Amino acid sequence: MFKIKTAASAALIAVLSASPALAADADVNALRNEVEKMRQAYEQRINQLEAKLNQLEGNRAQVGTTANTPPATSRRRIADNSFNPSIGMILNGQFRQYSQSESEMPGFAVSHEGERGEEGLGLGHSEISLSANVDDKFLASSTLAIAEHEGETETELEEAYIQTLPGAGLPVGMSVKAGRAFWTLGYLNEHHSHADDFADRPLPYRVFMNHAYNDDGLQVSYLLPTDGYAEIGGGVYRGDDFPYGGNSGSGSGAWSAYARIGGDIGDNQSWRVGAYMLSGEAEGGRVSNEETVTFTGDSDLEIIDLRYTWAPTGNARDREVIVQAEYFQREEDGVYTADPGVVEATVNGKSDDGWYLQGVYKFAPQWRVGARYSELSSDATPTDLIGTDLDSEGHDPEVLSLMVDWTNSEFSRVRLQLNREDLSGGETDEQAVLQYVMSIGAHGAHKY
Amino acid sequence: MPRILTIIVAGLLSAVPFTAMAQVNVFACEPEWAALAEEIGGAKIKTFSATHARQDPHYIRARPSLIAKVRRADLIICSGAELEVGWLPILLQKARPQVQPNGIGHLMASQYVPLLGAGANVDRSMGHVHAAGNPHIHLNPHHMVSIAAQVSDRLAKIDRANAAHYQSRLQDFTQRWQQALAQWETRATNLKGAQVVVHHSSLSYLIDWLQMRTVASLEPKPGIPPTTSHLESLLQQLNAAPANLMLRTPYEPDTASLWLSSKTNIPAVVLPYTIDGAANTGDLFALYEATLAVLLDKCRC
Repeated sequence: MFKIKTAASAALIAVLSASPALAADADVNALRNEVEKMRQAYEQRINQLEAKLNQLEGNRAQVGTTANTPPATSRRRIADNSFNPSIGMILNGQFRQYSQSESEMPGFAVSHEGERGEEGLGLGHSEISLSANVDDKFLASSTLAIAEHEGETETELEEAYIQTLPGAGLPVGMSVKAGRAFWTLGYLNEHHSHADDFADRPLPYRVFMNHAYNDDGLQVSYLLPTDGYAEIGGGVYRGDDFPYGGNSGSGSGAWSAYARIGGDIGDNQSWRVGAYMLSGEAEGGRVSNEETVTFTGDSDLEIIDLRYTWAPTGNARDREVIVQAEYFQREEDGVYTADPGVVEATVNGKSDDGWYLQGVYKFAPQWRVGARYSELSSDATPTDLIGTDLDSEGHDPEVLSLMVDWTNSEFSRVRLQLNREDLSGGETDEQAVLQYVMSIGAHGAHKY
Repeated sequence: MPRILTIIVAGLLSAVPFTAMAQVNVFACEPEWAALAEEIGGAKIKTFSATHARQDPHYIRARPSLIAKVRRADLIICSGAELEVGWLPILLQKARPQVQPNGIGHLMASQYVPLLGAGANVDRSMGHVHAAGNPHIHLNPHHMVSIAAQVSDRLAKIDRANAAHYQSRLQDFTQRWQQALAQWETRATNLKGAQVVVHHSSLSYLIDWLQMRTVASLEPKPGIPPTTSHLESLLQQLNAAPANLMLRTPYEPDTASLWLSSKTNIPAVVLPYTIDGAANTGDLFALYEATLAVLLDKCRC
């Protein structure tokens, strides 16, 4: 504004000096002096104002650098709704086709999440999740899964937990999680199945954990202050979710412990290995095999997992190899009842195991191929159970899976998977699964 | 006692207790921030960069090694503006309170500079767009001045004993940077108005600083890899109105760029993008020197 005035006064001088020379010299000189005075006054005023402006700007910069907290320049919203919970939804649709009309896995107590999915077009789990920081000390999160099972729409509360935030005053690296959650137990268990690399879970998860272990409980984890990654943790649980069941709440329930370490090899490879154990009692009876088999007693599970990732070009977005393997061993002491009320057998140290190994190769930014082999082996069938669902007839179930998937963006994926299931030693079940997984809304960062 | 428990106990014992170190641990999400921290901190700090020049900082796994590094960090420096939103939150879960958002050790560089493309109304059908604005801010050298002041300020507060050290190194850096900046701007005048084809919006701030013009992007939408039909339409566009340069970063795939370059004779150029993105780009000064050298060499403008 003052610049404009300077310009205006300059223009005035120009106009005046160009005015006709008819006016007397004295008048002209008087006018010139007047204008000169005006110009000086303006320039002085402008200089004063500019000095003041500079001073104010200096002060502001100082305020910015001396305040004890970071300047409040984060007027932009970062990442999610700060006050409203982040809301997200995962949609998962499938088309499955099987060569066999029946799929049985003799020798194992399998519950319904462990069975093969329903044939034909259908929805898998649709998940709705809500999460937010409760305050400066806690975070709360819940995931509701909606699925069709035998013609009925079932709603399952997959997760509903609170977790301490780093500001909660616990030692650095320690965190407590309570409620219902996919607990840290093996590699896949703590991941939602939409993040899996295959359309279904490998055999050990289907049989030993009925897809995943998300009992009600409390888990503590502690990241050790070491240069490399080392984490330990453990928890206590109600003992109501498979492999347990029917716990009245008065008994011991179940507990777990784990330790894992990990690191990098050079710039482009990383790994993690872990050892886990889950021990507990199916106090009121674990029901499986379409409610024909019940187990009451102690069931312990030991798991070892390995994950290795390699980005051949350095950029995992571009090309990546992922190798993953887990080994499960289960030991049970208790009573199996098959065909209710008909056969009862006491088992002591019944030891079953299973493992899988999978490799996924991303050969182009949007395309991946993968192969997985999983296998189970059951202990010798107790004599009393011969002829029941728990009679393995000496056969070890095995499944070979191949998949190819296309990822348009990190929010959408379409996958084709072929399985060759040999579960009973009878006819081989050839399966084809076409699946989409899409996510809308907030989508939490993925774990390693 | 089960075998697994034995393994767990062995794992516990193998964890060597952490002994306090005098140096300030700085965790940088990208190499440019590690380099800036080194300019300010010198020998008083120990820096670690989560990513290297051949990695796309949007897509980093929350690797175990990173979780361990962040847990021990006194200061984390990242681009912010949602660039690291896919992995940083996981790393922070087990970290110190001071490096959590709004803590003194949590420095998001993009909060201290004006962002390009901020405030736009976006949804995911537009591709991988950052609603907060373009986060690839380090390629406008003017930004380094205000961010360097923040780094110095944070270091001085975290490590009060050496506050004077950080302050004097900041002054020294700012002075040398301003001098270099003036030289770069003089040398780069020829680049003004040059028309460039980019892969993604990773180079927007460089283009903005040098007053070049982006005429096309190889990605049909941000984050969606180039498609054949999109490249065909670009070929027609560029045949009708040729551009001067086709730019990409070391982590962006070369196929689309090389194909289009061979069809149009527009030189396909890989810029260093960040520290160690090319030979002799070991620090921020060298990074800009090398970037300008390759631009001036390849641009027929």
